[in-house]
Amino acid sequence: MLIWLVLAGAALAAFGIALAIGSSRLAPAELLQALVSPQDSTAGDIVTRLRLPRALAAFATGGLLALAGALMQVLLRNPLADPYVLGLSGGASVGALGAMMLGLGALWVNLGAGAGALAAIALVFALARRDFSRRQIFGAHEASPRLLLTGVILAAGWGAVITIMLTVASESKLRGMLFWLMGDLNGAESWTPAMLVLAAALVVTVPLARDLNVLLRGEALAHSLGVRVAALRRAAYLVAAAATALAVTTAGPVGFVGLVVPHALRLALGNDQRVLLPAAALAGGTLLLLADTVARSVLAPQQLPVGVITAVLGVPAFMFLLTRSPRTAGAA
Amino acid sequence: MPLARCLLAAALALARVPAGAEVRVTDDAGRAVTLKAPAQRIISLAPHLTELLFAAGAGKQAIGTVEFSDYPEGARAVARVGDSALLDLERIVELRPDLILVWQHGNAQRQLDKLLSLGIPVFYDQPNRLSDIPRSIERLGRLAGTEVVATSVARAFRAREADLRKRYAGRAPVRVFYQIWEQPLMTINDEHLISDVIRLCGGHNVMADLKQLAPVISTEAVLAADPEVIAGATAEPNMRDDLDNWKTWPRILAVKRDNLFVIHTDLISRHTPRVLDGAQQMCENLDKARAKRRR
Repeated sequence: MLIWLVLAGAALAAFGIALAIGSSRLAPAELLQALVSPQDSTAGDIVTRLRLPRALAAFATGGLLALAGALMQVLLRNPLADPYVLGLSGGASVGALGAMMLGLGALWVNLGAGAGALAAIALVFALARRDFSRRQIFGAHEASPRLLLTGVILAAGWGAVITIMLTVASESKLRGMLFWLMGDLNGAESWTPAMLVLAAALVVTVPLARDLNVLLRGEALAHSLGVRVAALRRAAYLVAAAATALAVTTAGPVGFVGLVVPHALRLALGNDQRVLLPAAALAGGTLLLLADTVARSVLAPQQLPVGVITAVLGVPAFMFLLTRSPRTAGAA
Repeated sequence: MPLARCLLAAALALARVPAGAEVRVTDDAGRAVTLKAPAQRIISLAPHLTELLFAAGAGKQAIGTVEFSDYPEGARAVARVGDSALLDLERIVELRPDLILVWQHGNAQRQLDKLLSLGIPVFYDQPNRLSDIPRSIERLGRLAGTEVVATSVARAFRAREADLRKRYAGRAPVRVFYQIWEQPLMTINDEHLISDVIRLCGGHNVMADLKQLAPVISTEAVLAADPEVIAGATAEPNMRDDLDNWKTWPRILAVKRDNLFVIHTDLISRHTPRVLDGAQQMCENLDKARAKRRR
């Protein structure tokens, strides 16, 4: 409980920083004025129409990615798993880049990303359906690598399609396409769907956390303890996939958060999914929110891709935890 | 002896551009490029270099170029040897060029090194500022042996530029934000050709002080700068929408006064004589913005 309070406090502090910092320097009085009556000043526009929606989008995206990463690591029982490992970001990228190549607007790019992500989810589900079915579980003592391999190979396929698209795209469109691929929260004003899905994902997964803990000990054991393994795996996959799809649709494929936040929390808090999953949502959201604030303000008015900042902040923090902690990394 | 003097002058004139005479011109990479004779088979590896080559009167000598070389009309018929990112080296060698024109930023260095190692003369041409354009035309004229045309075209360019400057540069300053790309939002700093155009018209680029040539910036910075004019380039009909998105920010002076101006990208982003057509449009637009002040 305490840890959630600490993380929630950190998240609130991050929101405060995100609203206060940006290209234009606002005095504290101006900032308050902007929050109280945003309608009659440029400062009001800046704080409530630019900084706030972007901060909410960043938090929701980071939360979704960290939660999806934690679930994927449990589902695949592989410490290298992240939200994108099964090719979801590849599918989303193909959809988004396709919309850009056709010269369509931002709405269509988002819809393209969403459609691509759904296609990728469905493809994995169809091709690795035996991993999600009940019959396969009987007698399988170790997790089959089929699901992971299916996803990784599909991801490679999507990667090839992306490369082809980048090669044939006209120069004028290439810029926007490359920028989208780096992951960016500029202009990510539609934070509502991401926030709603984040809440829904938590509501669905937290009751499953106990069973997920058992699943980590092996599928045969989980089965003998009465856990409905096939259904659980399906649920974990679908929640992780939906979370990733929304995150990528909101901000493009932002890297690093989904891989490292769950591991860092495992090192700090242990591997109890009941604590870990909500903590991942809070910590992932906070990390991406802070990273995005740095990305848009450190060289302001110039903007950096947020993925660079998550790595710059995350790598040393993670290494510190890894060398300090007596627990082993990648317990998943 | 007037006759002798005339003959001497004629001889000198001929001596400057005779077929078979050695040509030596220093390029923008600082290399002295020497040709045994003016180039007759030229490949240009950037659309604006093709356009400059035609402007310099050497369009007939252009035997190869890259995608998007669409101006003047004659350039469309020239054989394609790749795009600015990837070149078809075999096709280039097959065309037996005696000169390749290169824009440093555009082409893959590894492929250029290969061409250099094949012994084909390569000329780097990097017109950055407005004043570099006539200089580029003159140099291309010397390389192609069409100096007479090139010199007069360059002179006409300088005259028209000076005329615009005299007319507009001294007028009441207008703060301009120039958008070269919407998503990500990109602008240009003071080093850019477009910034030269804005200055020529008596405008001030509000993002002039940024360090990068074409930086990605925040919407917030534009709100804070509160420009009087927002201008942008368009290449396709549907890109008109790009500037319309600013209308959601009615507090920006440019939006309040409806000073959102679009200029065709080929007229303002290419380093060619046509940039003065773009400049003419820009200057007229800034004047429209000035007129709205008095209302």
